[in-house]
Parts: sequence; C-alpha cells; structure tokens
Amino acid sequence: MKKIIEVSNLSKRYGTKEVVSDLSLSIGKGEVFGLLGHNGAGKTTTIEMILGIKKPDKGSAQIFGKEARKHRKSLFEKVGVQLQVTSFQNNIHVDEVCEELSVLYQEPADYLELLEKFNLSHCRKQPVDGLSGGERQKLSIILALIPNPEVVFFDELTTGLDAKARREVWELLIHLKKKGLTIFLTTHYMEEASALCDRLMIIKKGQMLTTGTVEEVIGYSPYENLEDAYLWYMEEK
Amino acid sequence: MRKMKTIISIEGKLALRCPDGVIFGICMPIGILLLIGIIAGDKVIQGPVPMTFLDSAFAALTTVGICASAFMGIPINLADYRDKKILKHFYVTPSSPLLLVYGNIIIGALTAIVSALGISIVAVVFFGYRMNGNIFLFILGYFIVMVSMYSLGMLIASLCRTIKSANIVCSIVYFPMLLLSGATIPYELFPKGMQMVANIFPLTQGIKILKVLSTSGTINELILPIVYLLILSIVCVVISVKTFRWE
Repeated sequence: MKKIIEVSNLSKRYGTKEVVSDLSLSIGKGEVFGLLGHNGAGKTTTIEMILGIKKPDKGSAQIFGKEARKHRKSLFEKVGVQLQVTSFQNNIHVDEVCEELSVLYQEPADYLELLEKFNLSHCRKQPVDGLSGGERQKLSIILALIPNPEVVFFDELTTGLDAKARREVWELLIHLKKKGLTIFLTTHYMEEASALCDRLMIIKKGQMLTTGTVEEVIGYSPYENLEDAYLWYMEEK
Repeated sequence: MRKMKTIISIEGKLALRCPDGVIFGICMPIGILLLIGIIAGDKVIQGPVPMTFLDSAFAALTTVGICASAFMGIPINLADYRDKKILKHFYVTPSSPLLLVYGNIIIGALTAIVSALGISIVAVVFFGYRMNGNIFLFILGYFIVMVSMYSLGMLIASLCRTIKSANIVCSIVYFPMLLLSGATIPYELFPKGMQMVANIFPLTQGIKILKVLSTSGTINELILPIVYLLILSIVCVVISVKTFRWE
C-alpha cells in the first residue's frame, strides 16, 4: 500500500516535560487512522509536528514523502486540516469563511457544492457565530475538504458535540472514507474510533501503549470492547 | 493578487460590520474638526509661523485615523486572529499567513486615508480651509507618520501574545497619545511643561511635521522629527518581524 504519512521516532519536549516520546507510525492510502489518548497525551502536538507547525526535537514526519515544514507550498495543496477548537473571525459569514480559504488554493473544490452536500446551504449567508455546534463542525469538515485533499487531519472533530450531532459527523466521515480519502484523526470517543478507524494507536504521556486494527487492540487486552480495552491499557501501563 | 483582493474584500466587510474603526477613525476626528472650526476656527495661534486653530486642527486630526487603525484596528485584529488560531490555519495552507497581516494593514491604511479625505472635505467645504504649504510634501509627511505609527502597532501585535494583553497595551498607548500629542486637543493650548512631556510621543513629532508642511514653515526644523520617526519605524519593524508568532 502506498504510504501517505510516515512518522519515525518523533519526540518533543517543552522544558523538562516530554510531550511526545519516540512515536513512529505510518498510514497508507485510503486508511483511517485514529490517535487516541487522554487530554494532554500529546495528540495535538503530534499532529502539529506532522503538519510542520511545531518542530520536532528528534525524529521526522513526512506527508507524501516530504517534510511539511519545508514543502508547505506544494504539500498543502493536497492536505486538508481541521485544527482543534476551530474559531473564526468575528461577524464572518459562512460563505465568506469558505471563500477566504478557497482563494488560498490553486484548484479548490467548489464550496457551494460542499455546502449543498453537507446540508449547510441554508446557512450560507449566516454569521458563523450563529451556527450550532454540529453545524460548525460540519463547516470545519467542509473547510478541510476545500483543497480537494488526498489526506485530511481532524483533531478532536467531535469533542463537545451532542450525541446526535456526533452521529451526523460520523456519517459524513464514513462517506469520505468510502470515497477513498486518507484520514488522520484524534478522538476521545472509543465508539467513534471503533466505527471509523481501520487502525489506531493509543498513547499516554506521549508514549505509545499499543497500536493495530481495532480487533487487534481489543484482542491484546482481556476485554471485549474498545472502551474497556482502552481503560485497561491506560491503567496497565 | 487575486488572493489579496479577496482577502481585502472579506476583511474589509468584517471591518465595516464592527463600527469601532469607523466611529473612532473617521467620525470622531471629523466631529472634533467641526467643533474646533465652529468655536475657534479663525483665531490665530501666535508662534514662529502664525496659523489659525483650523490650520492646526487640520494637520493634527488627519493623524487620528492613522492612530485608530494603528493602535486599535490592526494589532487587536491580529492578536485576535492569533488567539483564534486563524493565523495558524493559514499556515497549514499553501499560502502565507502574511496575507492576512498585509490585508489588515491595507484595510487600516484605507480607513485612515478615507478619514483624512473626509477631514479635508469638511475643512474646505465648511470652513474654507486652504493649505499654504506644499500638498505633495504634506502627503509624503502623512505617509511617514503612517509608517511610524503602523510599525509601533505591529510591535504591539508581535509582543502581545493574547488579545487581552493587546487590548490593554493598545489602550495604554492609544489614549494618552491621542489626548496629549495634540491630535485632538490643540498642542498650542498646553502649558510649556506639558508640551515638553508631549514632545516625547512620536505622534507629537508626526503632527509637528504635518503642521510645518501644511503651513509652509521652514523645512530645517523637520529634520530631527523625521529622523526620530524613521529610526523608531526601523527599530519597531525589526523587533516585530523577529518576535512575531503565528500562534
């Protein structure tokens, strides 16, 4: 399988605190990969190092065989990103956010079509501040899809959403997965990881506890479902 | 170019939706000009170059739009965008987050220019104002003042990491400068001691430049203020470029 993301021995410390320690992973084309862990486990730092926002102290991370930091211009034409806790300019309207982002890419997707597809067309002229939590996250997905990406990063896309909105977002992700998009996501929700991820990795204090397919990760533990298995890994190691 | 145009048009709409910039940058100085013009427009201020209160107010008030964008608009917007991770989101696109920075500076400059034009129109139409000095030199001086104030604003945007601290620092810089540099209250009315304190403010020097240029005073006395503003601009730009963070 063609490797889309390749991370080896990634490490990062803030002062004396090691936030990410010796993480290695690789994600193939069309795979959905989930990075799981408590708050402060190093999930966001890992994503930010892969995206070149933060510089790793050790190790390397590549997307399409290139380091994001050094090849921003070419790389990000094909990479979609939703950063944790997405905020927008005050008073900005939905179509304006989309338009402002579209113009940054050479061959952006038609955001009107995306709004239509994700049932947000009726909010097109509304201020983003007035959207519900679920609608906002749907907008985040649309923004990540504007580059017509081959790979997307979703950092805690569903945190803070109610059950119904979360389900809706999952359905959208499953739809994207079926279309062959490579997805890197972080989440707190084990149900989400089970439903969406081909493979996952559980980390604690920046260190890998286990990795594999959902079945494998459950199989290594004495439990039957991912949530119990996850808690067992957290306490065991 | 297409990118810049879209960003300026969207950010410009956002600027208009939040009326602070228009009120403080455009309406307020025009209002003050009307007041000074009505109350004391014709009165002559004695000095090395005699001028009327209208002459003095015209030169001083054209800087208010600059200051409103330099110390309220631009740094607060940028600090807000940093806080909200909007700059960071631009970083993970093929384009540069600098587009947003330049876009905001251009919108600030446009607001300031509209303000100066508004003041000129009101001064000419209502009070028969005529500039004795060279208008092109005056425009050049205006842009020197703009560059120096914007560099100071960008310094604040770089050094203040959060919207909260940017707000506080901007207020601390903006209001004393606005009140004590002669931008709103005529400098000539200040007692000698206060004038000396006011001279420290870069804006006081900027206004001095504009007053001399608009009243055909002697260019010689401008060397010191211009050098002061240019050095200040260079220092601020260098520090702000070195310390600016996207997040």
